[in-house]
Amino acid sequence: MRRALWRWAVGRSLALMAAGVLCVAGPALAQGAGAVPGFPVTVSNCGDTLRIAAPPQRMVVHDLNMVEMAMALGLQSSMVGVTGITGWYKTDAAFLRSLGTIPELAPKYPTLETLLAARPDLFFAGWYYGMQPGGEVTPATLAPHGIQTLILTESCAHTLGEKPRATMALLYGDLLRLGTVFGRRAEAERLIAQWRARVRAATHSPLPQPPRVFVYDSGEDKPFTAGRAAMPTALIEAAGGRNVLGDVAMSWGTSAWETVAASDPQVIVLLDYQNGQGPEHLQKILQAHPAMRLTEAVRQRRFVTLRYAELTPGPANIDAIEKLARALRQSP
Amino acid sequence: MMSPGADAATRSTLRRTVPPLLALALALLVMLSLTAGSAPVSWREAAAALAGPWAGLFGAPASDMAQAIVRDLRLPRVVLALLVGATLALVGGLLQSTTRNDLADPFLFGLSSGASTGAVAVITLTGEWLGAWTLPAATFAGASVAAGAVLLLVRRAGGQGPAQTVLAGLAVSFLFGALTHGLVFAGDQRAAHAVVFWSLGGLGLARWDNLWLACLGLAVLAVFIWRRHRALDALLAGDDTAHSLGIAPERLRTQAFVVAAVATACCVALAGVIGFVGLMVPHLARRLSGPLHAAFLPLAALLGAGLLLASDLVARTLLGSQELPVGIVTAGIGALFVMALLRRPAVG
Repeated sequence: MRRALWRWAVGRSLALMAAGVLCVAGPALAQGAGAVPGFPVTVSNCGDTLRIAAPPQRMVVHDLNMVEMAMALGLQSSMVGVTGITGWYKTDAAFLRSLGTIPELAPKYPTLETLLAARPDLFFAGWYYGMQPGGEVTPATLAPHGIQTLILTESCAHTLGEKPRATMALLYGDLLRLGTVFGRRAEAERLIAQWRARVRAATHSPLPQPPRVFVYDSGEDKPFTAGRAAMPTALIEAAGGRNVLGDVAMSWGTSAWETVAASDPQVIVLLDYQNGQGPEHLQKILQAHPAMRLTEAVRQRRFVTLRYAELTPGPANIDAIEKLARALRQSP
Repeated sequence: MMSPGADAATRSTLRRTVPPLLALALALLVMLSLTAGSAPVSWREAAAALAGPWAGLFGAPASDMAQAIVRDLRLPRVVLALLVGATLALVGGLLQSTTRNDLADPFLFGLSSGASTGAVAVITLTGEWLGAWTLPAATFAGASVAAGAVLLLVRRAGGQGPAQTVLAGLAVSFLFGALTHGLVFAGDQRAAHAVVFWSLGGLGLARWDNLWLACLGLAVLAVFIWRRHRALDALLAGDDTAHSLGIAPERLRTQAFVVAAVATACCVALAGVIGFVGLMVPHLARRLSGPLHAAFLPLAALLGAGLLLASDLVARTLLGSQELPVGIVTAGIGALFVMALLRRPAVG
């Protein structure tokens, strides 16, 4: 998980020092303030309040998961660009179709110049999802140019001291915020109701007790995985399982093989990077590991492969919950 | 720092008392390292797992998982920590003597940046073509290329003594560092993770089937030191004196450098770049034993092994279920140690 890795490599040290003070935009450049009924609106934004005077016309969205969120609400007509897609992922035809003519401004992280050149009024991104603390693209550096920033809630754990437990509210809440900002709250609520129904349907047969699940992203000397504040914890719990590292106070980060092996996971989620070194490689590492190969999941080959977009907050989370729920309910 | 430190009388007392104390401390550390860790394995279970056929002495036999954790994760890790700690301290001592530079350490000569470049190149460009041995092979190759480049530079410069070697090493370090960062920039996310591992070090890759590499590195060093320690002593008195004793300083320096490069590459291939051990331990050992290599280097090896084992114990247990890169711990302990040294004139 690239962002997660950077987040860990860079953010580890920064997180300790992070004051968590974000200077968010002052009053936005009101475009005919008061002209739009129901506006201005305010939404929470990493502990601050974001005040939107009118629905944004020129949004730039970073990363696959957030682009999929925006497209789920049908916001393509209000988008002028996306960033951080092709630098890391293979995209499928369906994704490109719904993206239509919206250009990709940068294959990985955008520079300030690239963003300004697109003259956006809103940037939808997150910490280590397109922005780095102290980097050139942050809410504080965009504000003087009249660009407001909507920050992915899951990523606030990196800049605020606390590491709140991830729940499905991370996805539902962010979709509601996005809907509110664009005056499409009703659509957002409808979509969330559909998602909730799908989760209920997938999990209607109860499990005697939550199966133990481990998320394996990468790393051979120590496993890189998801802790308490990262989205997979919420997905696993929604599917009826329990993340074996769900009590570790971190977002994405490294753990120790000993800890994981001793917790004896029954199902293991493998991250599919979709870039050649696939989940087979991760599976090989687990099967060769002297302690991991003794765990129930490896002995019975109970692996679930999920894509990056399915494990970071976005509409694909619901597919992930369905896959997980099925895997947890299969008799070993 | 080549000060005689303690006077002769104190030193002979030290020579009698230090090794047994060190051996005792090491034994204790090994026991602690096998029983402590992030997984809940009790003393009794750890003992039973290690006792093999005599497990009955400790009550019920250990579970399969406890056995795997103690025998196949912790035990090889302890062995690797001892081997790598000893190797790094020896390489540091050897390079400090031969370059007459107190700040020489195994990584001053581009070895670590070369190794990191090798690792990152594999991760970003080629993928695993040798299975589990790809990364060690690549780091080894990278470290060797870097060391070769340094030697070539020194040759071309006409081998004008130790200062030349240090400069050449720095230049090669920077070059390979730039290469590594270029690869990370162009590559994907996994490269970033790898860079953190190779640049801060860790002992998490220790397995029974790869320990031979660390043994090889230490063996090469030990043989060289055992055969050349008198010549190394002569070098301490300066190149002219060494000449008059029939020793070719340049040749000895090149030999020492090649041996150091091979040994360091073996370490880095398995454990990444663990800083401070090779820089600091030799100074401490020299203070206790004096500058003569026959006494100084074995003591450095013991101290290095102990320091790395203790550091890894801290790295594995400090944060519960998360492992710190061991380089963070060695650097922390090392910095405190150097500050303490600076405040006191001499041990004695």
